[in-house]
Amino acid sequence: MSLGRIIAVSSMRVEILLDKTDVRVKDIVETVGSDHKNRFEIAQIEGNLAIAVPFDSVIGLTRGVEVDRVDGGLRTEYSDEILGKVFDSYGRLIDGNTIENPHTKNVYERNMALKEINTDGQILWTGIKVLDFFAPMQKGYKMGLLGGAGVGKTVLIKELIHNVYKFLQSNSVFIGVGERSREGKELYDEMIEGDLLSKMSITFGQMGENSMSRSRAVFSGLTQAEFLRDELKQDVLLFVDNIYRFVQASSEISAELENMPIDNGYPPTLLSDVSQIEERINSTEDGSITSFQTVFIPADDYNDAAVHAITSHFDGQIVLDRKVAEKGLYPAVNVFRTSSKMIDIEKVGERHYNLVAEVLRYMTRYEELEEIVAVLGIEELSKEDYNIFYRSRKLRNYFTQPMFVAEQFTNIPGRFVKIEDVLDDVEAILAGKYDTTDENRFLYISNLYDYKKG
Amino acid sequence: MSKHVEELVDRKCRDIMDRKNIHEVGRVAGIKNYIIEVEGLDGAAYFEKIVIDGKAEGYVSAIGRNRIYVALIRKTDDIYVGDAVHTTGVEFKGIFSPDSIGHIVDMFGVDRMNDQKFDNTIELAIETPPIPIMDRGKVSRPMQTGITGVDMIYPVGKGQRQLIIGDKRTGKTQICLDAIVNQKGRDMLCIYIAVGKTKKEIKNVFYELLKRGAMEYTIIISAFNDEFPPVIKTTPFMGLAVAEKYMLEGRDVLVCIDDLKRHADVCREIGLLTGTVPGRDAYPSDIFYTHARLLERGCQHKDGGSVTILPICETKGGDITDYISSNIISITDGQIVLSTKNFEKGNKPAIEYGLSVSRLGGAVQTREMKAVGAVVRRQLLAYLEKCDVYELANEDEMSPELLKSMRNGKAIRNKLRQYKFSPIPPEEMQHMFDGLVDMS
Repeated sequence: MSLGRIIAVSSMRVEILLDKTDVRVKDIVETVGSDHKNRFEIAQIEGNLAIAVPFDSVIGLTRGVEVDRVDGGLRTEYSDEILGKVFDSYGRLIDGNTIENPHTKNVYERNMALKEINTDGQILWTGIKVLDFFAPMQKGYKMGLLGGAGVGKTVLIKELIHNVYKFLQSNSVFIGVGERSREGKELYDEMIEGDLLSKMSITFGQMGENSMSRSRAVFSGLTQAEFLRDELKQDVLLFVDNIYRFVQASSEISAELENMPIDNGYPPTLLSDVSQIEERINSTEDGSITSFQTVFIPADDYNDAAVHAITSHFDGQIVLDRKVAEKGLYPAVNVFRTSSKMIDIEKVGERHYNLVAEVLRYMTRYEELEEIVAVLGIEELSKEDYNIFYRSRKLRNYFTQPMFVAEQFTNIPGRFVKIEDVLDDVEAILAGKYDTTDENRFLYISNLYDYKKG
Repeated sequence: MSKHVEELVDRKCRDIMDRKNIHEVGRVAGIKNYIIEVEGLDGAAYFEKIVIDGKAEGYVSAIGRNRIYVALIRKTDDIYVGDAVHTTGVEFKGIFSPDSIGHIVDMFGVDRMNDQKFDNTIELAIETPPIPIMDRGKVSRPMQTGITGVDMIYPVGKGQRQLIIGDKRTGKTQICLDAIVNQKGRDMLCIYIAVGKTKKEIKNVFYELLKRGAMEYTIIISAFNDEFPPVIKTTPFMGLAVAEKYMLEGRDVLVCIDDLKRHADVCREIGLLTGTVPGRDAYPSDIFYTHARLLERGCQHKDGGSVTILPICETKGGDITDYISSNIISITDGQIVLSTKNFEKGNKPAIEYGLSVSRLGGAVQTREMKAVGAVVRRQLLAYLEKCDVYELANEDEMSPELLKSMRNGKAIRNKLRQYKFSPIPPEEMQHMFDGLVDMS
């Protein structure tokens, strides 16, 4: 006897009349009878009626079709075999590879206990001036890359993959959630070209896929990162592009389930959905997960409920700003909103801490002066303000950087810059040692020593 | 003939034995604008084509426990409760004729100019699974629009999706038309998809293209603004299905969608009428996915063909950060932002260079173009940024270096002015800025 049969269908929802009652939420069922098998995940159960969310398109599905359970629920590969391969959200390989003896694990199983979690870690330099200066990273940290549409989140995460992953050579997992397929393919090609794929596992649930696929990609990819941490006891790098799309997909599913929304159509389960994922991204005594997660800012609204829910889990954030990008300054970092728990005298030392404070003081004053200058002109400024104005512009230009992955836009090869050089240069600019140098000369250079030499 | 009838009877008997399609006739139970509730039709499949008493057609948009919901796409007569409703056993598909090139057509294979259906037609599935990631190739071949501000500063490649965004009357459609006209002799098939445009606008576009000989390789697929919203909603998908068909045959296709803001509004209308839970700004919560799966059909296929998409999005008050705009920006590979301010100042095309982006940049330019383009863009942006600060500054007090960069920047800005339908060949573009930019 089958598990039940379908009695209602819409694009992202089917209702199943159950013949048996031993069904749980998150069980997977599939249609029987026809060649083309539709799969669904049970989302809600009311008596003998189950509401399920389809994995793929339901075009052609009719009432009365019988369904049966697929044992084990949603599973993905949980072995060494994951490295160098590309999976879809449901744990299937999509790069033409096969795995001989699959060893899979349910993607929802893992939950971390307080005693497991380790909060120590050493500092991790990224070689990107503005990041290392304003928001240094530590092993085991979660760093958010926030920005509206088209301000350079993906370029920055690719640069981080390039710099951090290449440098550390630790195993890593990339999860593409609701982003462009073109970029997904480009990342894959670049990894192959750079001979870097062998240490990376990729899971894609891109924006052309339905909401189920986009939301489950995170669980699948995360399970693989947990394998590297828990079983191989390694330090893992996890890149998620873009975690906001996970929430977005969840809202789409929630709307189909006719749950009451909170503001802007987000699901009532917003906070618990995000926590469910983020609480699994942590480090243990044996291994660590260091993660970089991009966050899309819908409608450039930084007060968006989903953005808040996500960023509350981060140890630091890098905020990209359209106003900065507009001026052609990349990475388009808004230094005022960018922060890290590392900016602490105990962690980065007094010099670095004080320089950050001083630069922010300059920049804040510069913002005010900009308005004054626009009305009165530069000549009206006092000597001190005059210096702040020009030095801030130089600092702002100095914090641009040629990136390895953006060479095609800038025609300038990328540079990895050491933090010691950044601190020296910033100190020198603040002290007025470059007051006579034209501000344009600070654009897209590595450090001032190299610049003078070249 | 009798053999055919026998086969039909046989199939029907088999279906009955299999307990399929027992009630092929249902009854209209409710009418809500263009959504019809039908009782019966137990065997109706999701997205199946439905006929109502010979006077209307639609597709199954949802199957409820006791009723099915049919979205109307065409109606020739009034519908009454109790009218007979038939299933057809086939998926709702668009009809396309290869003879449509040079014509204004709808998604049912009809020439809109004379309302005649084409003889030679094929059916095309409207919703297809996305092109797999691994079947996509690198976007690297330039798609010349003939507009310097585009080809040089924010280039478009074959297989790229480049949004054109701006307020009413800033020349959005014009950029598409320029791009289409410039494809003459370049072996490119162009598809202009009109979404909810007025008939007058569509006819104008047709004549503009016809006059310049561009209709020889162009299809206009249109959904007028007084058609049933389900038709307006599905027409862009049909347009992309046509593009995809040609791409898989190895052709390069350029698709313009005019415009997606209107499309989003139609989706909102349908969503609210059918009682889906509204999201931000009352748009359905899957509006991002609707646009994403539409635009993700644009790609460079590994087998050679490509679909380049230039979607248009209309904004209000120059705000490109509203919900729909920022959604589409986050889907496309870049955006060309047009502003009323530039338009009124006579800086046409009214491209806002600071806000525009191409995520592919030099990757889709020739080596020569990339070398010049990167420098011109950098100088232009530096000039535009300085404009705000030094607007009031006295030229005499500027350092010679600054003065030169300001003067050159202004000259670059002026050189980018270009009248409509006057394409510039790439060789000429590369030398337009000689002497103005420092190429060392």
